[in-house]
Amino acid sequence: MSSPLLQVKGLTKAFGKVVTAREIDLDFEAGVLTSIIGPNGAGKSTFINMMSGSLSADAGAITFDGHDVTRLPIHARVGMGLCRSFQVVNVFPGLTVFENVEIPTLVNRRRAARFFSPRAKETQVRDQALEVLNLVGLGHRTEVKASELSHGDQRLLEVAIAMAARPKLLFLDEPTAGMNPVERVDILKHIRRISNQGSTTFVIVEHDMDIVFSLSDRVVVLHRGDVICDGPPSVVQCDEQVRECYLGQEVM
Amino acid sequence: MITNKAYMAFGLLLAGLVVLGLAGDRFLLYISMRIMILAIFALGFDILFGRTGLLSFGHGAFYAGGAYGVALCYMHLAKDPLLCLLAGVLLATGLALVIGFFCVRHTEIYFAMLTLAFGMMVFSLIWNLREITGGDDGLVGVGRQAINLGLFKIPLRKESEFYFLVLAFFTGAIWVAHRIRTSPFGLILAGIRENDRRTEFAGVNIRNYRLAAFVISGAMAGLAGGLGVLLESNATPHISHWSHSSDPVLVGLIGGLNTLAGPLVGSLVFVGLKELVMRFTTYWMLFFGVVLLIILLGFRGGVVGTLVQRLAGRREVRS
Repeated sequence: MSSPLLQVKGLTKAFGKVVTAREIDLDFEAGVLTSIIGPNGAGKSTFINMMSGSLSADAGAITFDGHDVTRLPIHARVGMGLCRSFQVVNVFPGLTVFENVEIPTLVNRRRAARFFSPRAKETQVRDQALEVLNLVGLGHRTEVKASELSHGDQRLLEVAIAMAARPKLLFLDEPTAGMNPVERVDILKHIRRISNQGSTTFVIVEHDMDIVFSLSDRVVVLHRGDVICDGPPSVVQCDEQVRECYLGQEVM
Repeated sequence: MITNKAYMAFGLLLAGLVVLGLAGDRFLLYISMRIMILAIFALGFDILFGRTGLLSFGHGAFYAGGAYGVALCYMHLAKDPLLCLLAGVLLATGLALVIGFFCVRHTEIYFAMLTLAFGMMVFSLIWNLREITGGDDGLVGVGRQAINLGLFKIPLRKESEFYFLVLAFFTGAIWVAHRIRTSPFGLILAGIRENDRRTEFAGVNIRNYRLAAFVISGAMAGLAGGLGVLLESNATPHISHWSHSSDPVLVGLIGGLNTLAGPLVGSLVFVGLKELVMRFTTYWMLFFGVVLLIILLGFRGGVVGTLVQRLAGRREVRS
């Protein structure tokens, strides 16, 4: 049996007296679509920030794809295929939609440092960037400035930028926040399909329960820095402790 | 279509400059050379300021590095102008590498203040290391020997001869800036300006890219400084002063940031205006300031930026 894609051992982080991660042990297998849920302040953001490299852990180890990445900087983790998207819109506002996706694609194809040859010659980069844009449904708006897109389309672009780095493991931080229901269904369909293709493993951090239970193979529930439940949606849905601290009575 | 027009415009500009070099009088040639040298300075600076979004107040140090490099090479090592220029650019590049290494760790106002501090350090070094730099007298008597190509020599002594060397480097600088702007590297720099955090999450080591932009702009500042000392035949410490570092900032703001034509137009306006105003009044700084204010307030995005917007607006109305 192969080792998991991402392995977290004894991960701990505290801000003053507030413990946002308490000796978290989690394994993420390749190809298993996982969701992380939890009430506000559960430590979801801290967890994602520690995985992507924005925050350093107080203790514990993170192993990705067989390498210890605990102390690696952000760009090195992205280079290995560990990537994230953001909860708020985080695009390149002054650049065109195509250029937004072109940046991570250039890095992915190791063309970013070329400073004396025209970008127009990078046809493989162009094809790969267009492929990603078509995947999220922005293929027809390549020359529009990102700042001129609607909020929903900017969210799609956000996901496209993250996907363009061709990550092995992609953390999506509330991918549907601010989207209308049609866009929401669309993007989820895309995520499910890409996940089934198997080249990218998704870990989704979400509030929306419908999404979590309809989409995921596995659900992890965080509460005040602890993992209180971990399993398939059907099991998590029925768990007493989860119901108590998070889901409330109205869900059942 | 637009790029074809741009190529034609630059072709016309170069043809005009060649004609000017053949027909112009000494004063006109001198002013044109000053404009071109400032433009080289500003073209490099725009890669850092306009493209990457990092505002430096210390690039006078690299200009001075090029100038003193040329003067010291001329006095102690070799008199060939191309060798001297190479020495000047190398000195400026090395200086930019060391200073940049520390500065690119910060952004925005912290970056600006660090560059200012390093720039003033270089200034005080030049001012105090009298044995090497000549202190406040500077280094004088840098001549323009002929370039020796073995079979024949290219003389540079006369203004009309040196002009074509400056023109050649000016053309080269435009070409280099154009290549960088349209390259993958150039897009990454724009990404860093627009959203440095996101660029990092695209897998870019942004510190290295910032440093590269810093060093490229420093090297071009050094080339400008080297040509400047060959033109004026002396290097004085004030070229490393922060007030000289602000020249390419103003040129960029006048001409337009993050455009290829901006530094060219800005340099033309900057030098032309200064010469013009100085003829009529001894209080030229005051009038220069007023005219600068009008340009900066009236032409948001610089002269080039405003023209491009106007043209784009008209095209939209027509179609």
